[in-house]
Amino acid sequence: MTDRRSLVSVVDDDESVRESLPQLLRLSGFAAQAFSSAEAFLGSDVVSETSCLLLDIAMPGMSGPDLQQELARRQRKIPIVFITGLADASIRPRLLARGAEECLIKPFSEAALLDAVRAALRRPYSQPSRPT
Amino acid sequence: MTAQRATLDGGWTGFRAVSGDDAAASAAAANLISILDTVEVPIVVLRRDLMIAGFNKAAADMLRLSPSDIGRAPRESSVLAGLPRLEEQCSQVIASGLECRADFRDGDRCFVTRITPYPQGDRRVTGVVLTFTNMTAFQACVDQVIYERECTKAILNTIADPLVVLSADQRIHSGNRAFYALFLELASLRAKLKGIFADSRTFQSVKVDQVIPGEGRRTLILDARPLTLPDHSERRVLVTFQDITARKQAKAANDLRTIAERKEELRRNEAFLAEAQRLSLTGSFSWRVTTDEITWSEQLYRIFEFDRGAPLTPELIGSRIHLEDVPSLRGVIEQARSGGTDFECEYRLQMPDESVKHLHMVAHSVRDEDGRLEYIGAVQDVTARRLSEQALGKAQSELAHVTRATALSALTVSIAHEVNQPLSGILTNASTCLRMLAADPPDVEGARETARRTIRDGNRAADVIARVRALFIKKESAIEAVDLNELTREVMALSLGDLQRNRVVLHSELAKDLPAITGDRIQLQQVILNLLRNASDAMADVHDRPRQLLVRTEREAGDRVRVSVRDAGEGVDPQNMDKLLDAFYTTKTDGMGIGLSISRSIIERHHGCLWAQANDGPGATFSFSVPSDPASVPDAAPR
Repeated sequence: MTDRRSLVSVVDDDESVRESLPQLLRLSGFAAQAFSSAEAFLGSDVVSETSCLLLDIAMPGMSGPDLQQELARRQRKIPIVFITGLADASIRPRLLARGAEECLIKPFSEAALLDAVRAALRRPYSQPSRPT
Repeated sequence: MTAQRATLDGGWTGFRAVSGDDAAASAAAANLISILDTVEVPIVVLRRDLMIAGFNKAAADMLRLSPSDIGRAPRESSVLAGLPRLEEQCSQVIASGLECRADFRDGDRCFVTRITPYPQGDRRVTGVVLTFTNMTAFQACVDQVIYERECTKAILNTIADPLVVLSADQRIHSGNRAFYALFLELASLRAKLKGIFADSRTFQSVKVDQVIPGEGRRTLILDARPLTLPDHSERRVLVTFQDITARKQAKAANDLRTIAERKEELRRNEAFLAEAQRLSLTGSFSWRVTTDEITWSEQLYRIFEFDRGAPLTPELIGSRIHLEDVPSLRGVIEQARSGGTDFECEYRLQMPDESVKHLHMVAHSVRDEDGRLEYIGAVQDVTARRLSEQALGKAQSELAHVTRATALSALTVSIAHEVNQPLSGILTNASTCLRMLAADPPDVEGARETARRTIRDGNRAADVIARVRALFIKKESAIEAVDLNELTREVMALSLGDLQRNRVVLHSELAKDLPAITGDRIQLQQVILNLLRNASDAMADVHDRPRQLLVRTEREAGDRVRVSVRDAGEGVDPQNMDKLLDAFYTTKTDGMGIGLSISRSIIERHHGCLWAQANDGPGATFSFSVPSDPASVPDAAPR
């Protein structure tokens, strides 16, 4: 059976996020994959297939925004929803100005998450749904 | 002798003629003539008609008479012509029958010429006998005496001290000029002298105060000594007067000056002391225990703010003592009263304006010659010192709190991150759980697994909160056994978010055999936190290499524990290495320097040391080392 689910990739160094988020996304009708670092995501084979990126900001090594820059450099236009534990209100407008779809402050609700992901997927440059 | 006799013969031709031819008479005359010639005194006999009748040998020699002069007038003799009134005088003698005398000088010789009628008695005067007594030697003696007397008089008159010679009945025999100048009024002195000499044969110096008209009161020392001359029955007394008025006045003036100088010196010393007391805010006191007699210095009145000279009673002093200090001070006083030992204490005064003064009192016990106890002491107003100590302590603790709060405030973001991570997981898991249970059929196993993860994340959030609470509580210093590994882990866990945000890669090498140390957990945590932040900040500008941070704990010789934090930052200039840890040196504006300086003081309080070292490679290593047992450090107790 061909299921055209959009792939949402989660990049976060926090394990509980990596465990919980993909599960909820899958239950919500998306395909999901988790990566513990930006480097791991870049080194994977799903970069081109990813329709939406749920990206942590603060990570050891390459940070969320670094990854955003790197993708721009590679001309990979993936809609990005930042998820961050940093309760800094000034971050969100800056990230949005730099092209992010949304910035969710942890902890966020299921509705907020799904709204942001769906909005991101509506972006014309979002990767088409892939067969699963 | 023959020559003399020839001369002699010539002299007495006239007598022979007078005597006649009687053989016996002639022999007697010759005999008389020989006798007269042996007399040294020149003798010349004049007849009634004043012609020379004869002369003896001495007259022939001295008056240069020769036998041819017999029968001639004396004025025809060259020598006798020196007596111009001789004939007149002789006539008078012949007429009156009474002898007379005349002075006669011949060159440097002088004589007394005695003109005696001859013969004497009631018989008719037939002539005069002239005898010439040589007075030259005598006159010289008299002259000498006069001269000496004048000299003596001159000397005595030159002497400024009065001298007087008194007769036995205290009448003035003679006195020098000074005496007469001094004693114009003698009556009172005479009375005094009478008293002095009345019953004593020996004289002793007597001091007399005498008012001299025109001179005022004079002080004289009278000395007297008897003047006794051999074969002189009259007793005289020489009295000397020494006027010591000037000397006495000079001495009195000198004494006065000395007293004045001493007074001045004393006054100066007192002024110095008072000034020193004023400047040092120290007053002094004495306390005679038996009589409770209390004496205060001026400064002590000032400290207690009593009017100077106010009668000092225990009640008055007690009225100033701070109520809380009354019992303890009373204890000290009572012990001093009975014990007689030195004491030292601090107490406070409650001033009328409600201000409080801190005083430090030290007293030393002494005993007077009767063995009575007395305390001599000093009281210093140490209010300023105490207040500044209190202020310093307060400022230090405030600073420490602020520093901790600053560090924590910086950490809040990462702490929030730490807490939000599991919270986020909890929310997501809960949502997932609900979806699984709402599916048809419900995925119970999946929901159960998700619920477990929710619990795990909940615990994780609780852990973070517990750690943060431990840091936030403004706890008084508590000394306890501390595992530095555990402490380091806690701090690393708390800092992790902050470090990650700064893209710092944290490694740790924690020794397994680390002994526990005794210290203040919170303070030590703060030091490690500071070092981590410092290391993280040091690498903020590093872009060309990994921002590696290594935290290491290790056991050192002598049961010490070392914690070191190695960064790969810009490093520190070796010249600034010491300065870096010195108080408040910092090149940053966010107060990290203060953090380091506080860290060092914390470590020093734990009898340890904190130092910085440049790495072989890039960056620096900050380390501290503390003894596991502070009791092993001499004179060390955790403060």
